[in-house]
Amino acid sequence: MIPAGFDYRRAATLDEALSLLADGGDEAKLIAGGHSLLPLMKLRLAAPSMLIDIGRLGDLSFVRDGGDHVVVGALTRHRDVEIDQTLRDHVPLLAHVAGQVGDPQVRHRGTIGGSIAHGDPASDLPAACLALGASFKAVGPSGERTIDASDFFLGFLETALGPDEVLTEIIVPKATGAGWSFQKFNRRAQDWAIVGVAAVRGERTGISLINMGPTPVRASATEDALAGGASAAEAAARAAEGLEPPSDLNATPEYRVHLAQVLVRRALEEASAA
Amino acid sequence: MRFVGESVTRVEDRRILTGRGHYIDDVRLPGMLHAAFLRSPFAHARITRMDTTEARNLPGVVAVLTGADIEAVTVPIQVMPQFPDFNSPVYQAMATDRVRFVGDPVAIVVAQSRYVAEDALELINVEYDPMRPVVSFEDAQDPNCPRIFDDIEGNVLYRSNSTHGDVDAAFAAADTVIHETFRQSRQANVPMETRGAVADFDPGSGDLTYYAATQSPQGCRFQLATYLNHPIDRVRVLSGDVGGGFGLKGPVHREDISLAAASRIVGRPIKWIEDRNEHLQASGHARDEQIEVEAAVTSDGRLLGLKARLLIDQGAFPCLPYAAVLFPNMIRDLLPGPYRFGAMSFEGLVLATNKCWNPPYRGPWEIETWVRERLMDVIAHRLGMDPADIRRANMFDGDEEDRSITGQHLAGITSRQSLERALDLAGYSAIRAAQELARREERLLGVGFATFLEAAPGPKENRVIPEDARVRLESNGHLLVMTPQGPHGQGHETTLAQIAADAMGLPLDHVRVVHGDTRQTPMNLIGTGGSRASTWASGSVMVTTRKVREKALGVAAAMMEIDASDLDIVDGMVVPAGAPSKAMPLSAIAMTAYLAPETLPPGTDHHLEAQETFTGDGVGGSGWSGGTHLCVVEIDRETGRVEIVRYVVVEDCGQIINPAIVEGQIRGGVAQGIAGVLYEKAAYDAEGQFLAGTFMDYLLPTATEIPSIEIDHLESVPVEGLDIRGVGEGGALVAPAALTNAIEDALVPLGVTINEQYLPPSRIMELTRMVPA
Ligand SMILES: Cc1cc2nc3c(=O)[nH]c(=O)nc-3n(C[C@H](O)[C@H](O)[C@H](O)COP(=O)(O)OP(=O)(O)OC[C@H]3O[C@@H](n4cnc5c(N)ncnc54)[C@H](O)[C@@H]3O)c2cc1C
Repeated sequence: MIPAGFDYRRAATLDEALSLLADGGDEAKLIAGGHSLLPLMKLRLAAPSMLIDIGRLGDLSFVRDGGDHVVVGALTRHRDVEIDQTLRDHVPLLAHVAGQVGDPQVRHRGTIGGSIAHGDPASDLPAACLALGASFKAVGPSGERTIDASDFFLGFLETALGPDEVLTEIIVPKATGAGWSFQKFNRRAQDWAIVGVAAVRGERTGISLINMGPTPVRASATEDALAGGASAAEAAARAAEGLEPPSDLNATPEYRVHLAQVLVRRALEEASAA
Repeated sequence: MRFVGESVTRVEDRRILTGRGHYIDDVRLPGMLHAAFLRSPFAHARITRMDTTEARNLPGVVAVLTGADIEAVTVPIQVMPQFPDFNSPVYQAMATDRVRFVGDPVAIVVAQSRYVAEDALELINVEYDPMRPVVSFEDAQDPNCPRIFDDIEGNVLYRSNSTHGDVDAAFAAADTVIHETFRQSRQANVPMETRGAVADFDPGSGDLTYYAATQSPQGCRFQLATYLNHPIDRVRVLSGDVGGGFGLKGPVHREDISLAAASRIVGRPIKWIEDRNEHLQASGHARDEQIEVEAAVTSDGRLLGLKARLLIDQGAFPCLPYAAVLFPNMIRDLLPGPYRFGAMSFEGLVLATNKCWNPPYRGPWEIETWVRERLMDVIAHRLGMDPADIRRANMFDGDEEDRSITGQHLAGITSRQSLERALDLAGYSAIRAAQELARREERLLGVGFATFLEAAPGPKENRVIPEDARVRLESNGHLLVMTPQGPHGQGHETTLAQIAADAMGLPLDHVRVVHGDTRQTPMNLIGTGGSRASTWASGSVMVTTRKVREKALGVAAAMMEIDASDLDIVDGMVVPAGAPSKAMPLSAIAMTAYLAPETLPPGTDHHLEAQETFTGDGVGGSGWSGGTHLCVVEIDRETGRVEIVRYVVVEDCGQIINPAIVEGQIRGGVAQGIAGVLYEKAAYDAEGQFLAGTFMDYLLPTATEIPSIEIDHLESVPVEGLDIRGVGEGGALVAPAALTNAIEDALVPLGVTINEQYLPPSRIMELTRMVPA
């Protein structure tokens, strides 16, 4: 459980990170909190030749009220997302979800940008961003662009980010006063979700699922059913429509489908009770 | 006695909790190299070619040794060939021509650092020719499956058959026969500190010093000397703090022999610290067992007889020296537990498979408790009886003549008291009432309990394998207590000091317990295991300390010119009866004995040191530890999640040396028992690929998952002599039974019988048919 050899550079500025990335080519990788990348490297499932450490780019660690939305810097640690008052007031789902990631050590190291960029279907924050209709700002050699969360997660651990881009901001529409729920089903308190659901019900309705396919996904059939006036139970029954959930030691696909239906129903009940 | 019975603070705690313990990875020797093992990715394959050139050429690599290199300098392993009916295969420390499980070591790299060693592993080229893997009991017994060892027919390592009483008559008299197969699954010991060692062969002196994380330093020394063919007088094992073992570190592992051989080949110290991946995959998995049982019962709930067939999966190799063949007969003997019935037939098979070996794990015979106590509940549910009543109807009282059908003498057992006390404490009828209510609301609430007996040390007639201690009074009047035990978390430095301090008459901090240096400690192959510490080690420390006390008083008598029988030792002072003002510090006596023995009258024995053997003489009481655990669960019928609402323990381990330590042992055991049901499984697929190589896949419970555990101790009835009994294994023995009984009880409305032990939420949902299997 020792990574293969690699070079290490610490970037002092975003520009430096970008130019190191450009120089490093395919084999270079950004490292933020290291809590997704290092486990892969220790198992030698990833073997980047160079790590570019952006962990100290303090400029990218912030939460800012943007009027009708809140902007979260990519390097904001899960713990800082969890306790931020602006988020608690206007996007309580996101703050709550950040508080459900792993354990306190993980939450003090891992960053929201790292979680989004990693794009793990089992992760909590990408699904929350999907439900909230967030978008992501990326900066690359040819400037910056904004990508909608629903266009971002392309395949297993594959996102719309280019290899030469840095994710800088997570832009989340305010959902002040909206109903919300986060259902995370796991066997031990510190684990990833076997299946999870993030739900918002207010001016906008967003229901998303964790660990129900190769990417974080919207429960579109449920969202459509709700739009058509279905009850929570009816809409929840359609939670897994069109999805092919994975099989692992914790769950068969059948069990995941069942859990998705149960958890979506619970989420809808809780979100509308709010 | 002043310290025995008190929850004195553990002597070890300050050191360990402030990070000043000395574990194996803290050992750093000048010139030390680092090792890593290359392991087989196949469950079963022939090695057709191996090329280590590239790895050997990597800068920093000192040696790359293959199975053949190690074979050339070691003695082939054959575990207990003299054990009756054991087809004990001969095997090598590392694979030579064939690999037999995923994780089987095929080469060892010795390098300047572990980093380089791991890089070199990737440069070793091995070609394998895969063979059909033998993974399940069905495979092992399938005549079309290959033999794992060419000379072991049918992969059967051991078979034991016996009949007790008139089985046919018992079944003829039965109103009902209940037939179930109870299956457990692979659970690993998973100590916090993985395996590891530093082997230091000194080419100058020819001494092999082996720094081990072991439960048995002397056992480790003996096996290393044997399999390295190294003179035992030149093998020294040293071990410091050991971060847990739960049985895993009682055996000597193939990696130990390989590492020591490698050090002898390169002539330098080599460290090997196993990483968690290797550990989960290749250190050992236990509990892979099942019992098929038929029970003859009357309609009023009397058990008449049992037919039992046990299968144990040994994995690819018998563990050294604790092969699984040690356990079928123990399981047979203990299977009837505290219940009275007249007949039993038993067959026990140990089978080889292409999986990791099966080491002892906290209560290695645990399946007897699980199956028996599960069976009692199944019978109760089938007959529509209360599980408490069925136990009451069949339980022995512990009368002098009580003997189980397998011959266990049960005089003095307190099973019945523990059962009633647990039901009382938990408020059994109130729980049943709550269950009624819950069921009306379609909630799944269940209560389960189970009773166990642990032969620690067992009834007088069963007691074997004595143990020695060595004790020395130092010149400052402090006592050194040397034990062959290999403590790995239990707190021997505290409990044995409590015993010695009381036996000698000293303050606790005048006693130092020494272990883990085979040049100082007495010989004993077992070390710490089998709940022996509180019985055998305590007894040996007590008798040996008494001997030293006698010697010290002899010297004191000579110096003080008072008859020894009129002297007592209190708080480190030698006090004459009736004349406390004439008291003399023990240190003055000891100083004279060491520095001026010529001033003592001729014939005075001034050697204030003794080594004595404890044979079990003087132990009173039943010899049986035991108790009843009760558990209340609520199951989420939509997700299958089991929540433990209450967990109550009533136990009897005789006279308690240190209540805090006893309760710690119980809690730890219960946690592991719960984990075997809800969290931990060392899973393989049908090809023998190992699936649980990280802590994301092998789920260890944490403090959040384990409920608070209410513990009650049965008042021990004073007996003639010592009544100290073991407590290390009981929690792990009985918790799976109590918990699975509660789960089945909760699922009664859904008509579910639980005959498997591992019940993650996904499995519960399949059993309740809410999710297709
Ligand atoms: C024990 C443990 C438990 C965990 N439990 C959970 C859990 O319950 N739920 C959950 O959601 N997660 C969990 N995680 C994962 C955790 O949330 C990670 O911290 C997070 O997923 C990744 O963030 P990071 O900053 O550590 O990213 P890193 O590991 O540093 O990077 C991850 C990937 O993203 C890339 N990257 C990082 N930052 C950027 C950026 N700004 N722009 C472009 N690319 C970037 C890296 O190159 C890398 O490929 C757990 C992790 C551990 C170790």
